[in-house]
Amino acid sequence: MMTFKSRSLVLLAGALVLSMFAARADAQDVAALTLIRDEATRDIVRSSLDRAHAVGLPIGPLLSKAFEGIAKKASARSIRDAMAGLEKRMRRANDLLAPDPTVDELAAGADALYVGVPDKTLRQMRTMAPRRSIALELGVLTELVARKVPPGRASQMVLELMARGASGAQLTAMSSAVQADVAAGIKPDVALDLRGRGVMSLLPPPPSAAVLQGRPH
Amino acid sequence: MVRDLQEGDELIERAARALKVLPAADPRATARIVAAGRARRLHAPSHFTLFVEWLREPTLSFASAGFLAAAALVVGFVTRGAMSAIDEPVADLSVAHAAPLAVPVMTASGRNEARAVPVPIVFESSGARRVSVVGDFNNWDASVSPMKRIGTDGPWTATVFAKPGRHAYSFLVDDATLVADPRAPVARDLDYGGATSVLMVVAP
Amino acid sequence: MSEIDPAVAIRAKRGEEQAFIEIVEFYYPRCLRFARNMLGSDQDAEEAVQDTFVRVHDSFPRFREDARFDPWLFRILANRCRTSLARSRRHRALIEYGEVPLSAAAPEEGFGADWAEEVRVVLESLPAEQREAFLLRHVEDLSYEDIAAMTGAGLSALRMRVKRACDTLRARLTEVEQHGT
Repeated sequence: MMTFKSRSLVLLAGALVLSMFAARADAQDVAALTLIRDEATRDIVRSSLDRAHAVGLPIGPLLSKAFEGIAKKASARSIRDAMAGLEKRMRRANDLLAPDPTVDELAAGADALYVGVPDKTLRQMRTMAPRRSIALELGVLTELVARKVPPGRASQMVLELMARGASGAQLTAMSSAVQADVAAGIKPDVALDLRGRGVMSLLPPPPSAAVLQGRPH
Repeated sequence: MVRDLQEGDELIERAARALKVLPAADPRATARIVAAGRARRLHAPSHFTLFVEWLREPTLSFASAGFLAAAALVVGFVTRGAMSAIDEPVADLSVAHAAPLAVPVMTASGRNEARAVPVPIVFESSGARRVSVVGDFNNWDASVSPMKRIGTDGPWTATVFAKPGRHAYSFLVDDATLVADPRAPVARDLDYGGATSVLMVVAP
Repeated sequence: MSEIDPAVAIRAKRGEEQAFIEIVEFYYPRCLRFARNMLGSDQDAEEAVQDTFVRVHDSFPRFREDARFDPWLFRILANRCRTSLARSRRHRALIEYGEVPLSAAAPEEGFGADWAEEVRVVLESLPAEQREAFLLRHVEDLSYEDIAAMTGAGLSALRMRVKRACDTLRARLTEVEQHGT
């Protein structure tokens, strides 16, 4: 058993080790790599994770992307490309959602960028909500664009609803309603207008122009 | 040197023999432990949390543990700034499927990671022998969320734990085929082709 | 007492789930035996053992590959049992006078009772430190050096604890045997 003095020394040594730890991916996630049976795939995934960790990106979403590829029996090359693409988008999202986005925000931001949500929308959403997670709002935006609502139109609606104080539940319900309308044959932008105005009618009056432009107010 | 065995130790040996009887192996207990291990792997405690648990081990006195904890906090904040990595949320010490993940983690900017919430999932399939839900909330691991059938030919159900936001998932049928959820919106998989289902989760 | 092949522990440390399963299957009965003997309650024992294996799983990255697995595992288990005892001491303080304890009858009522149960009753009456030392030495067959490394106690203190435990067991079990003849 370690004495108090020994533990203190370990603590100080640990601080030094921790500072060097940035070069290696988290031990727990690396342990999950052993679940990947194919050696080539495992090596590719490990390199991708190490690279991401070296630049300070959380590796959870990347590992999930790798496991998705394995579940879908994708080739090692497809997995490598998918992880590289996600890493690139996460880096962009990291800049756009600064300072200090959560892991969920990074993953959601990367998805939003993938479907074509403009960079400035992410910046505006961050400015509008600097102190709470916007992972859900990013998810709603991604879903709307995935239903073929034009990215600019979807961005404008979500930003406006955020400014008016729409809750996560209201935004999610709106997105489900749009999806049902589109499935029923209604044009996506028309469906969004209809459902978005429906939510707005339940919310307090509109904010100032500064808020709508995502400028601090 | 103190001897631990003395005269009359035949009695002690008999007592020890009585206490040495091994209980039977319990496969269910093993399965519970392995499932808990998997859940921990997916949502690992942060190094900081493990470190604090190490400090709390009963072999340390309260005062020395307090001192080390304070020192650890200083070290933790300094190295956190140097690494600029964000810890994953801490998992609850419970068996997989039993409870949502606990303890939101605060980032340096003061924003909370959300907690995962339980979401019931239903799947109709008369021919399937085994079904699991796989998705980004469980690292596409079929062993985390196996589904149970209601009755002999009823629907399959499971509760998954997912954070608020948009998630991709599918059903893995008979360990072989990925099937989209007919009740859910479908999203085209831009990376691997095919289609996955979309799950939107809201915080309670 | 047999120990698991060190290669299995190394594989488990490196994240191989099958190796972790082998470890759980190999050690679960022994861990449950120790926990039951320490805690006197099946429910508390199962909870302590499950807790132990989850901590083992989490702590594997810190396990040194050149170390022996048994003492490392039993250290974690012993700590979990101490925590459980501390918790149940607070709970037992609430038990009213006259309520039957979780273990079987008191020695005075042991006339004709099962021998193993008698042993357990006396065991439970020992101070926790003596009970732990006795179980680790005479039931789990760990060496004094291993036990010292696990518990932080010095070798002399450990031997004294085991001696005192043996003295109490001997005295009480002799009484039981005499009553029974």
